[in-house]
Amino acid sequence: MKRQLNRYLQSDWFGPLLITIAAIALVSWFNPSFLSPFNIQILLLAIAVNAIIAYSQMVIIAIGQMNLSVGAIGGLVAISFSGFMEVWSIPWPVAAFMALSVGLTAGYINGLFVAMTGISAFIITLATLSIYKGLNLGITEATPFYKIPETVKALGNSNFIEPLPWLVLPTIIVTFCLWYLLNRLPVGRFILAVGGNEHAAELSGISVRKTIITAHAISGFLAGLAGIMLVARLQIGQPTIGDDWLILSFAAPVIGGAVLTGGHISVAGTLLGVVIVAIITQVLVLFNVDPFLVQVVLGLLILWAVGLNKLREVRAARSMDELGAGA
Amino acid sequence: MNNVSSTQPPTSDAMRLEDESPPRTGSSRLGPQLTRLLLSNEFGLLALIILFSVIFALATPGFTSSFSLFAMGRTAAVNIIIGFSMMVVIVSGGLNLSVGSIGVCVAMAGGWLMQVAGVPWYLGVVGALVLGAMIGALNGIMIVKTGLHSFIITLATMSIFFGVMIFLTQAGSFRELPPEYVQFGRMKINGVVSPLLIVTLLIGVVLSVFFRLTTSGRRLLAAGANPDAAELSGIRVDRTIILCHALSGVLAGIAGLMLVSRTGAAIPSMAGQLGQDWLLPAFLGPVLGGTLLTGGRASVLGTLLGAFLVTLLTTGLLLLQVGAFWVQTCLGLLLLAAVLIDLSRRTYLARHNLI
Repeated sequence: MKRQLNRYLQSDWFGPLLITIAAIALVSWFNPSFLSPFNIQILLLAIAVNAIIAYSQMVIIAIGQMNLSVGAIGGLVAISFSGFMEVWSIPWPVAAFMALSVGLTAGYINGLFVAMTGISAFIITLATLSIYKGLNLGITEATPFYKIPETVKALGNSNFIEPLPWLVLPTIIVTFCLWYLLNRLPVGRFILAVGGNEHAAELSGISVRKTIITAHAISGFLAGLAGIMLVARLQIGQPTIGDDWLILSFAAPVIGGAVLTGGHISVAGTLLGVVIVAIITQVLVLFNVDPFLVQVVLGLLILWAVGLNKLREVRAARSMDELGAGA
Repeated sequence: MNNVSSTQPPTSDAMRLEDESPPRTGSSRLGPQLTRLLLSNEFGLLALIILFSVIFALATPGFTSSFSLFAMGRTAAVNIIIGFSMMVVIVSGGLNLSVGSIGVCVAMAGGWLMQVAGVPWYLGVVGALVLGAMIGALNGIMIVKTGLHSFIITLATMSIFFGVMIFLTQAGSFRELPPEYVQFGRMKINGVVSPLLIVTLLIGVVLSVFFRLTTSGRRLLAAGANPDAAELSGIRVDRTIILCHALSGVLAGIAGLMLVSRTGAAIPSMAGQLGQDWLLPAFLGPVLGGTLLTGGRASVLGTLLGAFLVTLLTTGLLLLQVGAFWVQTCLGLLLLAAVLIDLSRRTYLARHNLI
């Protein structure tokens, strides 16, 4: 019984879950309108898109790298999606499929450069960030695509069951798929193994290159999906989509217990990280706090979370030492 | 292992803290020496700068006009300082994502001091730069105390600094600055040279001296090359890292204040959302200039030439009417090409035992 409890206490998602429940309880006590169906719908819409953005970064954190181009890929896919529909009058499912391929390719290119050259992912994705963003602005000349089909608009702003919006569906599916991929499928285990110790992974027969490329391709695909979902939500193909994703994409996985050196991430933790960020952002609005301070809070959240993770790591290392001394 | 205190002059223009390669039989011949010089970053950059200058001068009529040269020098001045600001942190083996954020904070503080507090402009500049040093040092202290990588710390502080700044200013700008300060950014010496460029060159000389001749500079290089070895040989690595982040803050601040003097106003959005627009120029200069991302090697001249090349290309492409939006793509491709060329150059030099 005690061991079971200990295991929960040590898992990544337990802390964030407690915080989420406490926050919901506290906020709804102060302000009952927080739990109104309308507010829940707004919260879910934000969580649905932000979760995909966070997953897109999380997959790269899992291999111990970083992807600065998440937002740029999202923006490029968003304008491809709306551009395909407006300029070439392609039906939306086909356009979505094609746009997602653009995202997948963009991520694949990132992975290819990182894996083949061995140059740090930071520099490669900084370069591709500016390439993808430049392509986006060069194509659109910074003007949005306005003609979005009614079906897409409806999907972005209506519910399939009250108060669950349609946009929650892809997020639920992706969450489950990612969990299955990382915990049950060989590819997912390879990703975590490469993140944990690249050299050991290579020696045990895992193709590090292929794994890195796969992770980046998944990241590109997810960033693209988030871009498409935002087009549906905003009802407009904005070229600026993705400009403000960077901080958020790191905040949520880190709050969820991800270790930035790789090999240790939690899908449930990341999702809860997104929920916490969404609740805090809403609370700031509900209590009339200056919206400019949201940035400060996000930054402080990251610092707090990485500090906490570090502390847990040190404590875990110490208890391992004690075990070693005992044996 | 450590030649921190050795007085031998650096072999190439770059300052490095690595073992000298064992003397090879052929090293007295001119061949390898020449190859090494021809394959050095600085020489390559210089060749590219000359090549592109000739191309742009022939392709566009306006390129060699005195106004275009003046504007290019002025833009280069700011870009070079932004590059320096990132370089001093890269030397320590870290990075500083918050350069843009700090730059805007310092610029706004300068604007506030001059316009609202009514301080004379030189005191305003000093006061704002002190703030830059303090913000930078705060980054350094957090990195040292937590032992976390500078990437995640400065990612968080980038958001925090920018958020506090935009909260305090309520996104408003300062436009009534002392005329002599604004005049400084618009002045032309001999009709071509901006005083900002001269300030930048002076800072370049100071940084060169810092890394070559001062104990702190050598310690910083040593700490970046191998922190453990540096610690064992009695260097306070902690202090060194805080120092380099403070220095980065000051340099970012100088770049911000230069922009203010150029535009005549302190505007919160001058470096984009969270100061992200500075990230690419900040890394382009040092990376093109051959500063190792793993730390321990700095090339002030390389960074200067790298940032200048970037400015030259941007100006030239704009004059060729490529369109401002495509220039960003070109710069991204340039960064990608630079790291790839650098990689193959290093492989070539290593294979021929020239490093």
